[in-house]
Amino acid sequence: MKDSLRWSYALNQWNVRLDVFVRHEDQQRALKTVSACGFDHVELASGTGRWDNISRPEVILLNHGSHSGFLDFLRRAEVHGVSSMFWDPQAPAEEEEGYAFRTTANPDDHDAIVEWSKPFVDFLAGVGAEQLVVRPVGSAWMTPPLGADGIKVIGDVWNRIGELTSAAGLGLALHYDCLGAVHTAGELTALLEATDPATVGLALDTAEFTVGGIDPVAYYREHADRVTHVHLKDTRYADTGEEYRMPGAESTMLKGGAGRRIERWFYELGTEGGLVDVPGFVAALRENEFGGWVVVESDHGGNPAELAMLNSWYLQHELGVPKR
Amino acid sequence: MAWTKWSYMDHWVTETPQGPQPPSFNRASMDRYVKQLSALGFTGFDTFFFYLPVYAGMYGGVPGFERYLQDSGFDKITGIFSAYPSATRYTAPHVRETHDRIVADCTNTLRMCEGLTGVENFIVMPTSTYHQTEPVTDDTIKVVADLWNRVGKLTLEHGMKTTCHFEFWGAIRTREQIDTFLSYTDPELVHFFCDTAQHTIAGVDPIQLFRDYRDRCTGFHFKDTKNVDEHEAYRTPPDPELMAPQVTRWFYEMGEGGLVDFPALMKEIVRSGYDGWLTVEHDKAELGGGSYAEATAVAKWYIDNVLAEAEAEVRAELEAAR
Repeated sequence: MKDSLRWSYALNQWNVRLDVFVRHEDQQRALKTVSACGFDHVELASGTGRWDNISRPEVILLNHGSHSGFLDFLRRAEVHGVSSMFWDPQAPAEEEEGYAFRTTANPDDHDAIVEWSKPFVDFLAGVGAEQLVVRPVGSAWMTPPLGADGIKVIGDVWNRIGELTSAAGLGLALHYDCLGAVHTAGELTALLEATDPATVGLALDTAEFTVGGIDPVAYYREHADRVTHVHLKDTRYADTGEEYRMPGAESTMLKGGAGRRIERWFYELGTEGGLVDVPGFVAALRENEFGGWVVVESDHGGNPAELAMLNSWYLQHELGVPKR
Repeated sequence: MAWTKWSYMDHWVTETPQGPQPPSFNRASMDRYVKQLSALGFTGFDTFFFYLPVYAGMYGGVPGFERYLQDSGFDKITGIFSAYPSATRYTAPHVRETHDRIVADCTNTLRMCEGLTGVENFIVMPTSTYHQTEPVTDDTIKVVADLWNRVGKLTLEHGMKTTCHFEFWGAIRTREQIDTFLSYTDPELVHFFCDTAQHTIAGVDPIQLFRDYRDRCTGFHFKDTKNVDEHEAYRTPPDPELMAPQVTRWFYEMGEGGLVDFPALMKEIVRSGYDGWLTVEHDKAELGGGSYAEATAVAKWYIDNVLAEAEAEVRAELEAAR
C-alpha cells in the first residue's frame, strides 16, 4: 500500500487448525495473495510444534535455516518483511515447559514467562521486525477478579519483558482482547499506567475494543501516546450481555456455543452492519501521525483469500489508499 | 507502463448459506465477488451468454449490470462467451440444418448487449464435443466455418468480433484442423481466441499458434495445465473435462508449475504489438480443495510480478532498437 501509514497483513486467518497451513507451497500462495492485495509486510502469530513452521520461532528457523533464510522465503512472494508477531504466554505450547499453564496474573509464573519470551525477542530482532504483540492476561472466566494490585502484578512482568524487547530494538505492545481479564476501559488504562511508557505500548484492535465495549476512536484519541500498534478489523456485535464471563468463553461466546449463539464475531472491513468507525479511526491515526504498523486482520472469518481481497478493496476504494 | 487491460472470465464459486454457488446467488455475493476482482486490479469483465438474463434480472438490464461494474472500478464488459458444447437436434454447429436456430440465439444475445459501452469479443466454441461430431472431415469443418462466417457478419454489425475458442475436446482441436477451419472462414468476420491451456492439452503450441495467427487473434484465456492429452481423453463421452479417467483436473492458475510458458507468450504478445484485452480464466478451480478467490489472487500476483517483468524486458528491447 502506498501511504504515509504503514500497512501489514496478519497471516493468522490462514492457520486455522493444527495441520492445515504447513506446506511451503500453501504458505507461498497465502503470501502471494497478501502481496497481490498490496501488502508487503506480514504479522505472524505464535503457535507450537512441528507444524507451526510459520508461527513458532524455533520451528521457523528449523525450516529455513536462519533468519535470512526465512526472509528469503517471504521475498519469493514479494513480501518484504515481518512487521510484528503475536504471542500469548497463557496459550500452552510444548516449547514452553511442555504445555505448562502459566499466567501473567501469578507473580510466581513471571520468571518462566520472561524466559519464554526470549525466543520471540531473538527471532523478531533477527528478522528485523518491530513489535512483539502480546496477550497481556488470560481470559476473564479463568482469572479471579483483578484489583489494583492484580493489575500491577501483570504490569510488572510486561515491564520486565519490555526491557528485553527494548534492548533488542523492538517494541512491546499489549493487545487488548474482548475475553481478557483486563476488560473495561478503566482496567486497561490502569494496566497502561502500571507499565513503563518508554518500553511498553498498546496494540489497539478496533474490533476487540468494540466487542469489549470500548470505543476504539475515543480511546485512541485519549491515549494516542501509548498506542504503538494497531489491528484493524470490524465486528457486527458488542458483548452487551457480559458473555465474556461465561465458562469456556472462547467457545461459548466466540463460537456461538451459548449465550446469543453468535458463531462469528469478527469481520472484514466494510462488512454490512459493521460497528467500527473505520474511516474515523484511520483519520484519527493520520491526525496523530501514527508511525507504527497498521495490521489488517480477518481473524478466522471465512475464506482467507476472499477476506484479504475485500480488505484490500476497502483500503483502496473507501480509504483512498493506492495499492502501488 | 505495465499492461493494464486485464479482464476476468466469469467462472467463480463462492460459499453461500445454500452451499457453494456462483456469486449470482444474490447481490451481496456479487458485491463481494466484484470487489475482490477490482481489488486485484482487473478492469475488464467477460461473461457467459447464459448469465446475461440473470444479471439483467438482478440489475435491471445488462447495461445496468455494466454500470454496477463500473461503479466498482471496472471499465466495461469486454467479452461474451457463447457455446454449444453438447450437440442437440436443435443446435449443433456441424449440422447445417440447425444454423438458423444458432444464428437466432446469437441475435438474442446481441440484443441483450445493446446499450453496453463496447463489448469487443463474441467468443464462441466453434464446435460441440468431438465424440458427437466425429468423423471430422473437411466437409464437417466447412459446414462449421459457414456458420461462424454468418455469425461473424452479424456480430460485426453490433460492433463485436466473433472469435473462436478451441477446446481440447472439441471437434476442431489439432493444428491441422484449426488451420483448415481458419482457411475456410473470412478473416474479416471470424477471429481467433487463444486459450493457452486448451491448446496445450490438445498438443498444439499456443505461442506458435498466436505467432501464426497474430492478425486474427482478438483475445486470450490465460490458464495453465499440467497434462497433455496422451490417452485420447478428448473422445471420452459424455464429457472429457470432468470424466477423463486419467486426468481428474485439467486446468490450473498461472504460476503453479504447469506446462504453458506464460513469460514467453507475454513477450510474444508485446513484440507483436497486440493491444487488446488479456483475460484470466479459472475453470474448475475448486477441484481438489482449491478456491477461486485464492486462485485469482495467485494468478494476479503472477501477472504483477513475473509477467510484468517479461513485458518490461521486451519493452526495453524495443526501446533500445528504436
